[in-house]
Amino acid sequence: MELYRLTAAELSRMMQKKEVSSVEVTRSVFDRIAKKEPEIEAYITLNEENALKKAAEVDEKRAKGESLSSLAGIPVGIKDNICVKGLPTTCASKMLANFVPPYNATVIEKLNASDCVYTGKLNMDEFAMGSSTETSFFKKTKNPFDTSRVPGGSSGGSAAAVASGEAIVALGSDTGGSIRQPASFCGVVGLKPTYGSVSRFGLVAFASSLDQIGPFGRSVEDVAMLYSAICGKDSYDTTTVRREYPRFEEKLTGQVSGLKIGIPDVYFGQGVSNEVREKVMEAAHRYEQMGATLVPVTLPNTDYALAAYYIIACAEASSNLARFDGVKYGYRTSNYSNLEEMYENTRSEGFGDEVKRRIMLGTYVLSSGYYDAYYKKAKFTQKLMQGMFHEAFQKADVILCPTAPDTAFTFGANSDDQVKMYMNDILTVTVNITGLPAISFPCGFDGKGLPIGCQLIGDKFSEQQLLSTAFAYEKAAGGFDLSRTLD
Amino acid sequence: MEMDIKRLAKLAKLKFTPEEEEKYAAQMANIVAMVEKLPDLDASGPLIDPDNPMEFRHDEVEKKYSRDELLANAPEVQAGCVVVPKTVAE
Repeated sequence: MELYRLTAAELSRMMQKKEVSSVEVTRSVFDRIAKKEPEIEAYITLNEENALKKAAEVDEKRAKGESLSSLAGIPVGIKDNICVKGLPTTCASKMLANFVPPYNATVIEKLNASDCVYTGKLNMDEFAMGSSTETSFFKKTKNPFDTSRVPGGSSGGSAAAVASGEAIVALGSDTGGSIRQPASFCGVVGLKPTYGSVSRFGLVAFASSLDQIGPFGRSVEDVAMLYSAICGKDSYDTTTVRREYPRFEEKLTGQVSGLKIGIPDVYFGQGVSNEVREKVMEAAHRYEQMGATLVPVTLPNTDYALAAYYIIACAEASSNLARFDGVKYGYRTSNYSNLEEMYENTRSEGFGDEVKRRIMLGTYVLSSGYYDAYYKKAKFTQKLMQGMFHEAFQKADVILCPTAPDTAFTFGANSDDQVKMYMNDILTVTVNITGLPAISFPCGFDGKGLPIGCQLIGDKFSEQQLLSTAFAYEKAAGGFDLSRTLD
Repeated sequence: MEMDIKRLAKLAKLKFTPEEEEKYAAQMANIVAMVEKLPDLDASGPLIDPDNPMEFRHDEVEKKYSRDELLANAPEVQAGCVVVPKTVAE
């Protein structure tokens, strides 16, 4: 058995029993990268030398009998918008192509404390703006199930690397579905945590009130392990919440007996393909067979959600991306004669088309005369939607629906029609604007052999419930089938 | 809805060629048509989240970075300062 095929939990147990070393595991993953990367192109930067050095250190600590975390020595891939000191953090943009952060994101400090090994920095849509990873300045990551198709986005590199064995687990970020949709497209598990449960310090900001870092894995247990390691209050992110976070991987009961699962009709309706609808309903019925009850719930209209999401996200993006001015870091144009021209040319040459569109939309909705009609209205729509979810959670413990309306599409299929591309997010954005947690796990394949994702949405800080419910499905299904992408 | 692309570009510190302006105007019109689908709500009242008061740090230096480390990413540096084009007229 090749080591890269195993889950973090399996590898962790083997390393604890000294059956394998971290160097062997890390070597196996880099051999896999050497083999698959030319085809998949998941990484922007590889970190092989440092990774093997770190792995050797972990092995030494273990040999000395030091007590180590369950993630010690596990190769983890990092989305390229999360700062790792000394490693380029590009956000897949020309603007940050040469940026090397002088500090670590809080999640990286936490993973350092867990003795994780970093494989490298993973490809994404430029500044996390996109649903296919096609807007990356550097490369197009391929879907490991079918290389003529996109891996989803914006965390497409993270999902593709985990699915193809080029990383054991990975971190991504989710502003409107950027963890869950690529997890769905690539047949892996992805968790978007409750807003405020994971520090955003060191995550390059896109929409600060919506962004959350979260884990990818090939099993629910792996996602739980990685989430346990990164969550918690951080004084460097005032929006993080102080509370007790358990070791989630120890709380996976797999029991759903008596659980009330909400089924929102509107999320199975218009725009959702028949195959996706059928497979996700099959997952719901499987829960029913395990003793759960399905109850109908009413959720906000998806059109409203998408509109409010794009207004809020782009408004915040236009402010956050104002910092890229060619002065303190990042790209600077060589073509200017005064300060104003330097700003304009730096930004026009440094940003790609999708980023410019979103900056322009954000500037528009915040500009004088339009603020009330767009931004303010979107914020009230957000409040309305929070109220609707609150009511839904009076009737249901978790809500089940598809993660994405369809399976992975081909390259270029949506590139010329932004609105069509944005429609990919109709089932994921509500979770971000309401601040709720949600998990996507694989629930079967369509006729073309492409994975379908089932999404579970929970009330704030109900990650334990979500992970345990997803774990129950995984157990009943006998695991998630990645034999085609790991061979 | 008529969008003044030139004015918005100026506000956003972006520059477009006439062809790009035309392309953006068409694309932005489609996107704005999508985001206009908002419910008619009574847009009044507070929008704060009383369940989640923010906790601020004391105003004390905690993390320490060297000046050289921080300036290493700047496009142009002289004598420990970032260099920008002249901002005052003669």
